[in-house]
Amino acid sequence: MKKYLTVFQLSFQNEFTYRLNFILWRVRNILRILMVFFLWNSVFSGRETAFGYTRPEMMAYVFSVLFINTFVMSAPSNDNVGSQISNGDLSNFLVKPINYLHYWLTRDWASKLLNILFATGEIFTLYIIFRPEILFTNTTTFLFSGILVTIIAAFIYFYLTKIVISVAFWAPEQPWGLMFVFLVLYEILSGGIFPLDVLPLNIYSILKFTPFPYLVYFPIKLLVGNATYPEIVNIFIGSFSWLILSKWISIKLWKNGLKVYSASGN
Amino acid sequence: MSVISVNKLQKFYKVHQKEPGLAGSIRSLFKRKYYDVKAVDGVSFEINEGELVGFIGPNGAGKTTTLKVLSGLLYPTAGDVSVLGYTPWDRKPAFQKQFSLVMGQKNQLWWDLPAIESFILNKEIYEVPDAQYKQTLDELVDLLDVSDVLKVQVRKLSLGQRMKMELIAALIHSPKILFLDEPTIGLDVVMQKKMRDFIRQYNQKFNATIILTSHYMDDVKELCQRVIVIDKGHVLFDGALDEIIKKFANHKLLTVVFSKEVTEKELKKIGTIKEFEFPRAVISVKRATASTAAAELLQNFPVEDINIEEPKIEDIIREVFTGKDLA
Repeated sequence: MKKYLTVFQLSFQNEFTYRLNFILWRVRNILRILMVFFLWNSVFSGRETAFGYTRPEMMAYVFSVLFINTFVMSAPSNDNVGSQISNGDLSNFLVKPINYLHYWLTRDWASKLLNILFATGEIFTLYIIFRPEILFTNTTTFLFSGILVTIIAAFIYFYLTKIVISVAFWAPEQPWGLMFVFLVLYEILSGGIFPLDVLPLNIYSILKFTPFPYLVYFPIKLLVGNATYPEIVNIFIGSFSWLILSKWISIKLWKNGLKVYSASGN
Repeated sequence: MSVISVNKLQKFYKVHQKEPGLAGSIRSLFKRKYYDVKAVDGVSFEINEGELVGFIGPNGAGKTTTLKVLSGLLYPTAGDVSVLGYTPWDRKPAFQKQFSLVMGQKNQLWWDLPAIESFILNKEIYEVPDAQYKQTLDELVDLLDVSDVLKVQVRKLSLGQRMKMELIAALIHSPKILFLDEPTIGLDVVMQKKMRDFIRQYNQKFNATIILTSHYMDDVKELCQRVIVIDKGHVLFDGALDEIIKKFANHKLLTVVFSKEVTEKELKKIGTIKEFEFPRAVISVKRATASTAAAELLQNFPVEDINIEEPKIEDIIREVFTGKDLA
């Protein structure tokens, strides 16, 4: 569809106009990775393994987080959709022959692509500076399945956030509070700070039934090659299920939301 | 042939009522009182192809809500609406390609990019063929005289320039129907005039059907042969602008200039005094008795000049809305 291609191009141009914003967002990502890096560095000082991870394995995990987080979380839609519902700017889109969610999905992907380019550079630089021992036991199967699951993760993240944001239809002042709660949960439960299997087994097994591990932890598990074949299959089943479920719920909520949408402002 | 038909349209909003003050805010956290706002309550009208119709009414009368229903943004509470044979809130692309909604207080242009980029995006969204796009754009740019600022970031444009760009963006797909909500809001008089000229030209050149809402009576007076007066969700009047005077103005204004001092008390016998500052007085009298009142004035007062006028349309409408009798 040519219209979405144009949206993609404009988004790319638009990202460049907010240079400072973009740079700060990247700085935030690097700071986070440094924090996690030093945290694990001190945990591993004087010992070979911790929580069942060797130092090179953990370093591979930490560096993958930067990459995956950048890819999954770069989503300008999160900052815009809620306010567009609340202040009525959504109206501009509803009168046109364009799908609003696809519009934002396209803009998110433009942002993801741009951010991934920068993240690659950052990871390379950090690697040069710290020269950590990194262990990837990779095969093409892992790499491909890892990339595929990461791409699905980006879609799940998109639909989950849109489910959260759709609360704005019913309570125009609410989306930020709920979004904040969601993001905090995301940070902790998705595996962005520590690999989830360091958690007690019972907590970990409950977490597996939420969408969060599918956003960061499982994609990394595949990318670094730390999974058995049955696990790969399970991850794929879970990942697809969450994709379908989150998409279905978000579309349903949006349909109902648009019925109560009051196109406020003016 | 009617292109827009609205039959007994109702749109109610649920609004929660908040008691004033902090205590009220806290109370509203736990218990909320809801009540229905009847934004539109039983509105019906038909509009034919090529008509330029003005919606007038005070803030909150239901004008904008009606436009929002007509453009498919809102689902009505009750009633039938058909625009070009479509039900607006189905939001069919075939329908959306044929109309445009311009809201004076909303912008659709990408703030950080030149306006031309937004035009290109709209071209793709509405699937306008290249040749048609080029021709329409050239025409609009020419009519609105903005060729020199097409490539300037939207944020750097003046309000007037931006409104022109908003119009171009809204018209790039050559809509047959145009909903203009306060298109001249915030513009200076020169700019307002240009905007009006443009709207008239667009209406005549393309036989486009246009509904316009405005707070500026000048917009309506200059542009619309037909007006629909809405207040509190009801249609008060639907017809030619001049008819409003006949229907609602049951009085005329006598403007008199006196050559010698007269007292207010004496003048009161003639009619209601609207203004009195010697030597000039404006007196409101019943329409039927206007000529007798004038004769009486000429006979019994030192009149230097006298003038019988219809009241101003703004005044009539204001009085209609405030529910006061004019005389």
